[in-house]
Amino acid sequence: MEPLTTNMILVMMMIGLAVFLFIVEWVRVDVVAIIMMVTLPLLHLVTPKEAFVGFSSNAVISIIAVIIIGAGLDKTGIINKLVTPVLRIAGNSTSRVIIAISFTVACISSFMQNIGAAALFLPAIQRVSKTLKIPISRLLMPIGFSAILGGTITLVGSSPLILLNDLLVPFDLKPFGLFDVAPIGLALVASGILCFVFLGRFILPQGTTDAGDEKTGAVLEEIMEDIGNVYELHTPDDFTHYREPITVKDLRRRYMLNVIALTEPPDFKVMSPGPDLEIRSGIDIVLFGSKKNVMRMAENEGMSIKEQPEVFKNEIAESISGAVEAVVAPRSSLAGKTLSQVNLQDRFRVTPLAVFRHNETYRAKIGNLVLAVGDAVLIHGTWSRLKILQEEKILLFTTPVDVDIIRPEKAVFAAGWLSLALIMIMVFKIQLSVCLMTGALGMIITRVLSIDEAYEAVDWRTIFLLAGLIPLGIATEKTGTAAWIAHESLRLIGDVQPIVLFTVIGILSTMFTLVISNVGATVLLVPLVVNMALEAHADPRMAALIVGIATSNSFILPTHQVNALYMGPGRYKSTDFMKAGIVISLLFIVVMIGMIYLFYGI
Amino acid sequence: MAIITISRGSYSMGKEVAEKVAGRLGYECISREVILDASEHFKIPAIKLSRAIHDAPSILNRISGGKQKYIAYILSAFASRVEKDNIVYHGLAGHLLLTDVAHVLKVRIIADLDYRIGIVAKRDNITRNEARGLLLKDDQERRKWTKSLYKTDPADSSLYDLVININKLTKDHAVDFICQAAGYKELNTTESSLQKVKDLALACRIKATFLEHGFDVSVTSDYGNVLVYAKAGDRLMHKLQKIIKGLDGKTKGINNIEIHSGVPFPHNAV
Repeated sequence: MEPLTTNMILVMMMIGLAVFLFIVEWVRVDVVAIIMMVTLPLLHLVTPKEAFVGFSSNAVISIIAVIIIGAGLDKTGIINKLVTPVLRIAGNSTSRVIIAISFTVACISSFMQNIGAAALFLPAIQRVSKTLKIPISRLLMPIGFSAILGGTITLVGSSPLILLNDLLVPFDLKPFGLFDVAPIGLALVASGILCFVFLGRFILPQGTTDAGDEKTGAVLEEIMEDIGNVYELHTPDDFTHYREPITVKDLRRRYMLNVIALTEPPDFKVMSPGPDLEIRSGIDIVLFGSKKNVMRMAENEGMSIKEQPEVFKNEIAESISGAVEAVVAPRSSLAGKTLSQVNLQDRFRVTPLAVFRHNETYRAKIGNLVLAVGDAVLIHGTWSRLKILQEEKILLFTTPVDVDIIRPEKAVFAAGWLSLALIMIMVFKIQLSVCLMTGALGMIITRVLSIDEAYEAVDWRTIFLLAGLIPLGIATEKTGTAAWIAHESLRLIGDVQPIVLFTVIGILSTMFTLVISNVGATVLLVPLVVNMALEAHADPRMAALIVGIATSNSFILPTHQVNALYMGPGRYKSTDFMKAGIVISLLFIVVMIGMIYLFYGI
Repeated sequence: MAIITISRGSYSMGKEVAEKVAGRLGYECISREVILDASEHFKIPAIKLSRAIHDAPSILNRISGGKQKYIAYILSAFASRVEKDNIVYHGLAGHLLLTDVAHVLKVRIIADLDYRIGIVAKRDNITRNEARGLLLKDDQERRKWTKSLYKTDPADSSLYDLVININKLTKDHAVDFICQAAGYKELNTTESSLQKVKDLALACRIKATFLEHGFDVSVTSDYGNVLVYAKAGDRLMHKLQKIIKGLDGKTKGINNIEIHSGVPFPHNAV
């Protein structure tokens, strides 16, 4: 065993720094990775070439291709078409619906990014919840967890598994095949779904009833009742006399009422007026808000409330306008901005009414709220304007706005190229990155999506994160740090059975992935556990596989992108995830180790 | 119609000036009454409240938050008093609370250190050195206190509309200046400035209620629409919601009340 060297100490300090920065989040995760990429060659821990080798790695290219393929499938709407037949099979039973949709999402997630699959299904799940009157909180978490679990079915299902073979290269270990991990992945998906079906009442919020209960499931309607209704009022002819001007934003500020429409004299109708528009005398105004506030305003300001909308009867009819819920998705340009900065009123002529976050409804001063991933915004407007907003793709609409499927004629090409890529991997045993990039290129050439759309779809944060941490893994192995840590760890653990060692590795991977990203955990742990396994005479490939799988065991905290996305629409609190997450995480470890024992005979 | 707040260093004749201004304008002059109001309403001995307002908070106070509670009570009583308008207030707590209210005339009275030393030495029958030490300590306590509560130095002249140095000018000159300024139309009470005071009073009352239950929150009120800014945390939210249920419908002036957790509070929050 090599003694501790200066380089080893430096590498350990760099690992410590990376973990610390991941936890405190002083800088974004990809920036941490770039810090590593730049610092390691400066400290002569890796060569300059090794520092940037991540960008050309099999893993990074594969991930880029997977993202492009996923975006292509999204453009054709091919995924949404799956929902109807799936639901036909499932029928009306809540349990069957959960099983059917969860399994479908898991399968799709096995060859797409988890978050892509989760986002694709969100509108469909809302629709199912409304139609079948199933509370959405009973659907979203099981389906979201299944999207994460589905990433363990194939070697392209999640970033850690895509990365795995690259990390085995320095050890000259045999790479894994595309479906080598499938038995474990399928068992994990099945056990996760069944857990929710049988234990849902204990671990899900409001999960106290079985299928066929009386509870109303249409969450959007509940929200609207809670927040308010639409009222039409008239201002008197002397409204503006002897008073300072009152604007649309004044009514919001003073009475928590949103102006949806008003007339500008003599009778010009303005829908979703801007905040600075003045309320004039003798006009009609449509407000959204609680009855209590409307009556208070009418009394204070001398307006008269009409029994029914008259002037705007047609414009606010359900067929013309309404309210939708839209979520700030993980890569939305809105994350980090306030609604005032986004200015939906002026840009799209729609009115934000409320924001839902962590099971709380925010109605007041929502303009100042800094939007975060998972926030759900309730927006009112005409369907035509909401459609324009939806097409901007800055928000993920969970209430469908009857958007036409964008390129249905390309669905055949999309499916064809994906199938070709899979055949190339399975039958011809060509390198993963080459096969997937062929599929991506095929989609671009056959115009399933344009090259610019492909570039836009790629999440550069993930790419830089991966590319930046790969040299840290190289440094860990090259300097002998991984071997040293492995040796010292085994001295502490003592002589144990391989199954015990693998369980410990599984638990460690689970803990690491909760605080540093799944990719970070994989890159740091694989060299370490391979060395540990070699020294303990256990199977090093299995040790690495456990890391690749267990780094998807991210359920306890809503840190995983899928959980963050579903939090708002599902009205979940962090404690909801903890409750269900602990059960699923424990089950995950047991099933994973059990399946490896059965299938690979450790 | 105005609210006049007079901030002063110790022994700067601020109290005499305040009383003369109130007398000339026919306004109510308040100072200690605020503490008595708070003591009666919140059932805390006046001496404890006085100490809270006089001494700068220690590290222990800052950790335990005990003094904060008393100060919140005093501010709540102060804000309720000034809702009535036509007030002259001289005291330690409230003048900076009303910084954003249009019809408040904020005055600071200062005097030469030597002049003040003379007064204290004569009154307490001590040497000039002892008096000097006493005054400097007092000034330092007030500065620390104001900084801890309002994050600002009370000697910063930009906080005031009028700063008068009682040195060449006499107390009567100061009274003249203040009474003249109070008559300017810029200090007339308007509907919106009156609403602002009402909102401040409501926000202070609500903050005091939360502090009574052991929760340190920041509160804003805008036309009776109350926002409670709290730290993030599901358990905390649950408890805060319970308090809000108790407040809503029972506390006068609340039109809507909502909790924003994990959201940074604005600078004008109480």
